Amino acid sequence: MANYVRPQVQRQALPQHAAERIQRMRGGGPGQGPRFFTSDLSVKEFLLVREAGFECAGLVMGSSIYHVGYQQAGYTQNMEMGVLTQALYQARELAMARMEEEAHELGADGVIGVRLRVNRHAWGENLLEFVAIGTAVYGRPETGQKFQVQTWRAPSGMPFTSDLSGQDFWMLLKSGYRPVSLVMGNCVYHVAHQTLGGWFSSVGQNIEMPNFTQALYDARELAMERLQYEAQLDGASGVVGTEVYETSHGWDSHVIEFFAVGTSVLRIHAAEAPPVPELVMTVNE
Amino acid sequence: MSGYFTSDLSIDELLLVEECGFEPLELVQGSSYYHIGWSSAPWTTNMELGNVSQMMLAARHVAMKRLTDQAAQLGADGVVGMRIDMEREGHHAEFVAVGTAVKRRKGDGAAWRDRYGRPFTSDLSGVDFWGIVRAGYRPVSLAHGVCVYHVAHLSLGQWWKSLGQAQQNMEHAAFTQGLYDARELAMARMQYEAHEAGATAGVLAVDVREESHGWDSHVIEFVAVGTGVAPLDAADHELHAPARAVLFAQD
Repeated sequence: MANYVRPQVQRQALPQHAAERIQRMRGGGPGQGPRFFTSDLSVKEFLLVREAGFECAGLVMGSSIYHVGYQQAGYTQNMEMGVLTQALYQARELAMARMEEEAHELGADGVIGVRLRVNRHAWGENLLEFVAIGTAVYGRPETGQKFQVQTWRAPSGMPFTSDLSGQDFWMLLKSGYRPVSLVMGNCVYHVAHQTLGGWFSSVGQNIEMPNFTQALYDARELAMERLQYEAQLDGASGVVGTEVYETSHGWDSHVIEFFAVGTSVLRIHAAEAPPVPELVMTVNE
Repeated sequence: MSGYFTSDLSIDELLLVEECGFEPLELVQGSSYYHIGWSSAPWTTNMELGNVSQMMLAARHVAMKRLTDQAAQLGADGVVGMRIDMEREGHHAEFVAVGTAVKRRKGDGAAWRDRYGRPFTSDLSGVDFWGIVRAGYRPVSLAHGVCVYHVAHLSLGQWWKSLGQAQQNMEHAAFTQGLYDARELAMARMQYEAHEAGATAGVLAVDVREESHGWDSHVIEFVAVGTGVAPLDAADHELHAPARAVLFAQD
């Protein structure tokens, strides 16, 4: 975990149009839902969220345009690019924090279906745009009572976040867990170029390339380890739906970002027994 | 009723639209063809190109209006499965709206139209239409919000300064602020439009996209689209569920 700092994000005021938009959705007071909702969930997801005892509050979003610094790596050296790792991590945290702030302003308990996107634009060399977007939800009062959950919010006091779809959210609650936060870990790694000697010794042979194996293995493990660390900081009982992505963000072909993202979950003590699956023949294809 | 209809609904969509007490009438469409004029922005300024935003919205509205006019002539109460596609060729763009006009079988369709008595519009499939009706909502109109934004070029001074900071990790505050706000504007406008049309409950299945349409690389269009919905009057809500409906937990 050397050289790895979990970035601290200052809470900021929302941009003008965000504040106005949220204001128009907000309800009368505490305990009351918003008077007008927006949601990017599909209709099926929307119905299942309601079925789970939650209501949609509003579409929430946060973004950050980030200038990514520069780092030099030895040509034949396997190493983590710490500067790039930190940049991508920090920018994602900024986008997420702004999205959470919008959900907080709405009076929501959490955000589901969060998508983290990275855009590159023709106008910005070394600039990456990070966007977090999802649908804020709040639990109906009887839902909290049923599950004996005081607050659905994360330990930080901010709304919970999760990249689970509406379907997965429904199933998660049914199986006795609740989401805590979207957890992530990343690692930007420079994979060494092969030396001339190395090339000679392997040409024409079926052999493992220990150098490359080691590099990619290491990088992936680092990203996953950091994700796990975040979940432990949240006091979660586990992480579900983890995916590991590999992207090069238009860098040199030997520089790769491994990005692990998932939802940390906590056990609900007053959960019902999970439903028993049933066999259904569908008339749809 | 003549009983003859055309539609691009799939069989299960047809079944569920009928289940809601509607019958399909005809595939309706509307189109508009626009010349996109240019609006110059100061080279080093982050700003909305207001008249381009308005045009991109107006072009979609005109196509939709023609579609609903055609549906209204047929006596339809609404349009389901509507979509608006854009074809661009240089400075010209064609917007085409297509959907299936539907009519309430019991003849109480007036309650389903929007506040101006026009047929409702929605981009929901027949299956999703059935879903929201079951949940106690009716679609009101497909709402749009558009914001076309010009991203500033660096001035010579800024460029020089940026060379000095090339090694640094930092947020670009001006760009963040500009694009964040532009996207928010598109979302806020969609919300406002839906509310104005009488969608008192909210907006469902929103899609927020960004496109540059091959314009100047510094110009981005943010579009938010979703179906505005209102609560269904209790009297209207006597839907009989099919013998067995299974909502798939997976997509």
